[in-house]
Amino acid sequence: MNPRSRRCAGLLSSSLLIAVMPAPAPTQAQAQAAATTSPAGAAAAAPPCEACHGAHGEGMAAAHVPRLAGQSADYLLKQLNDFAQGTRDNPIMRNFAKALSEKQRIEFAARYAAMSAPFTAQTTSLDEVQLARGHQLAFQGSEVKRVQACDSCHGPDGVGVDFAAPYLAGQSAEYLASAIKAFQQGTRKNDAGELMRSMAQGLDEADIAAVTGYYATQGSATH
Amino acid sequence: MTQRLKEVDVVVIGVGMVGSMVAKELAAAGYKVVGLERGQTRFTVPEFQSPAIHDELRFDVRKALMQDNTREAITFRNQSSQTALPIRRWESFLPGTGLGGSMVHWNGQTYRFHANDFQLATRTRERYGKNFLDPDVTIQDWGVTYGELEPYYDRFEYLLGTSGKAGNIKGRIQAGGDPHESPRSREYPTPPQKEHFQGAMFRKAASSLGYHPFPQPSSNLSRPYTNPEGMKLNACVFCGFCERYACEHYAKSVPQTIILPVLLANPNFELRTGCQVQRINLDSTKKHATGVTYIDAVGREFEQPASLVITASFALNNVRMLLLSGVGAPYDPATGQGVVGRNYAYQTMSSVASFFDEDVIINPFMASGASGTLINDFAGDNFDHAGLGFIGGAFIGAVNTNGRPIQYHPVPPGTPNWGKGWKKAVVKHYNHSVMFSLHGSSVAQKQNYLDLDPTYRDAWGQPLLRMTFDFPQNDLKMAAHVTSKAVEIGKAMGAKQVDGSPRKAPYTVTQYQTTHNTGGTVMGDNPKTSVVNRYLQSWDVPNVFVIGASNYPQNASWNPTCTLGALTYWAIDALKNKYLKNPGQLVSA
Repeated sequence: MNPRSRRCAGLLSSSLLIAVMPAPAPTQAQAQAAATTSPAGAAAAAPPCEACHGAHGEGMAAAHVPRLAGQSADYLLKQLNDFAQGTRDNPIMRNFAKALSEKQRIEFAARYAAMSAPFTAQTTSLDEVQLARGHQLAFQGSEVKRVQACDSCHGPDGVGVDFAAPYLAGQSAEYLASAIKAFQQGTRKNDAGELMRSMAQGLDEADIAAVTGYYATQGSATH
Repeated sequence: MTQRLKEVDVVVIGVGMVGSMVAKELAAAGYKVVGLERGQTRFTVPEFQSPAIHDELRFDVRKALMQDNTREAITFRNQSSQTALPIRRWESFLPGTGLGGSMVHWNGQTYRFHANDFQLATRTRERYGKNFLDPDVTIQDWGVTYGELEPYYDRFEYLLGTSGKAGNIKGRIQAGGDPHESPRSREYPTPPQKEHFQGAMFRKAASSLGYHPFPQPSSNLSRPYTNPEGMKLNACVFCGFCERYACEHYAKSVPQTIILPVLLANPNFELRTGCQVQRINLDSTKKHATGVTYIDAVGREFEQPASLVITASFALNNVRMLLLSGVGAPYDPATGQGVVGRNYAYQTMSSVASFFDEDVIINPFMASGASGTLINDFAGDNFDHAGLGFIGGAFIGAVNTNGRPIQYHPVPPGTPNWGKGWKKAVVKHYNHSVMFSLHGSSVAQKQNYLDLDPTYRDAWGQPLLRMTFDFPQNDLKMAAHVTSKAVEIGKAMGAKQVDGSPRKAPYTVTQYQTTHNTGGTVMGDNPKTSVVNRYLQSWDVPNVFVIGASNYPQNASWNPTCTLGALTYWAIDALKNKYLKNPGQLVSA
């Protein structure tokens, strides 16, 4: 793969807020954390976010918990607001987001946007053909499936576009796949213009695995 | 050496919007159809994907999607006493090329004309008297009425999925829509796009002056839509790269997103790209077409015999094709005789720039090609022209389509044209200015016409089309009047400086105005003043149909595409249900 050093978000086209977080079934640990954490105190000092999203916002791939470090603050804030208002449904995040004041949500979003977490070596079970397909979908799209390039909105090489779309490069494949499936099945509906729901309709299991696996391996040079 | 191919039922010249629609319907009806496209095949993926498609230098400045005028230009002059010269770089208007045609790079503005427009000569005479107009003005009725076209307008809008708000459904005025519009049978397929800030400012100001603002009907869709052909479109993201560009989002209604995949899947249809049609071939009687002759991309010449020839290229190229083929008598401005090339008209574009204080943040870049707000209070015949000395009008709107960095930099009059002073002014005004478009009608007049150039030829050795055009006095008066009204709206918006620029003569091809070139193969009910009958069938060669904005006897106050879509479905209906069942002249002269 090419080294990825560009970060020219301003060139990008879209001005919509596309949400890309899943609603996986909460793990036991998450459920406990949600039940026991005092939100008011947490916001002030030791945020409960760390329990799942990591001390540096690196996320927890195995539990489908997204990486937040360096993510667009506008995007993160929209997600927190959507969790709180119920327009994005996730039983864990709903409680946390609801407990935060508007000011605190802004602060949390800004904090994670400013974080920089190292990328752990991304391993993938995809073979070269699958990765090539992932790259094709990311960079070019598919006329047959009527799916445009992910990069069209998510920035060159999936680096994200502030104010508009979250980064995909370096995000965990597990999280991205569950997000796409949530859009596909219509359980997640907080995408502007139903754009992610439309895109997800065009992708089958193999394509979802290919494109999410591809992006998961693309983080190190971009953040 | 010309190779003669196997005869087919129908050959379509140009596979753009009209060509795709006609070919789709006729192939589906069981006819063998060949589509000849001079340009290349192209689709949303991969050709239209960003970031490559957002290259302003390539597409906006260098016109990458347009007809290649190093091979095929148009010559231009203002008056017939001058010598026309080839347009070496498109500026004033931008004819497209390639699969999908000019629609690929359109803005998606999807207006209907009003009932009055189709009977302009009759209605003008009735309302303002016989001698109201300059005798050189050659406006005429279309030979078809709005009422007849309404179902076809409806079908076309539902093909596109157009986003808008109806103003008049079956005679009932609808709040939020355009109360001046002629009745439509139902609401738009999708709701209007979101209003941008300058649109909201315009709405408020126009309402305060007693006008009737409404959202621009847009074929950059407000929400996902599946059209009757089963094609799915996405919602527009307001990237501000519509006109002169192709859409990467499957959000703009163009042949590739609304109909081409359906057409291409039909085995009755064959697409041939890179094919430059040289002429429609006629038999010895000159009353019957035998097919077309074309040259392919490597220079081989073919004859494609066909029972029916449909010319579906850009308006100007339709005219040229008939002139090159000897279909219909060429217009002679000296005698007023002849019809092909007659009644060439355009669009009379004026503008008003309003400059605000720096605390008014416009963000002009957040827009689609049709997400504006406008009024029709000064369009068409929606106001009394008695005593004004002109007919027609313009819509006035905050319909700015983009804030692209190379081309969009509004500055007040008196700003230096370059250098430090200019740069400073651009920085100061870029995000605090509102540009109104005044989209004006265009009457036909005797002196404006199209013919073949006696000197210049294209890369295949054929004469270029020659355009002779200047703005009629009627339209200049209209532009001055409507501009003065638009300036008042700018002032009501609270601008600290408002600069009105009514269109002035002479017409120049070196400044962008609009690609709404109309006329030259005018439709009508009299062979002496029209090239095709009301079904768009040639009066002279009944197995040739000509479909394009070249059919418009004169141009109205709105963008022409929606009316062309309606006419196309109207002609398809006549082809399928009348002509092909019993080939021959459909209208007796």
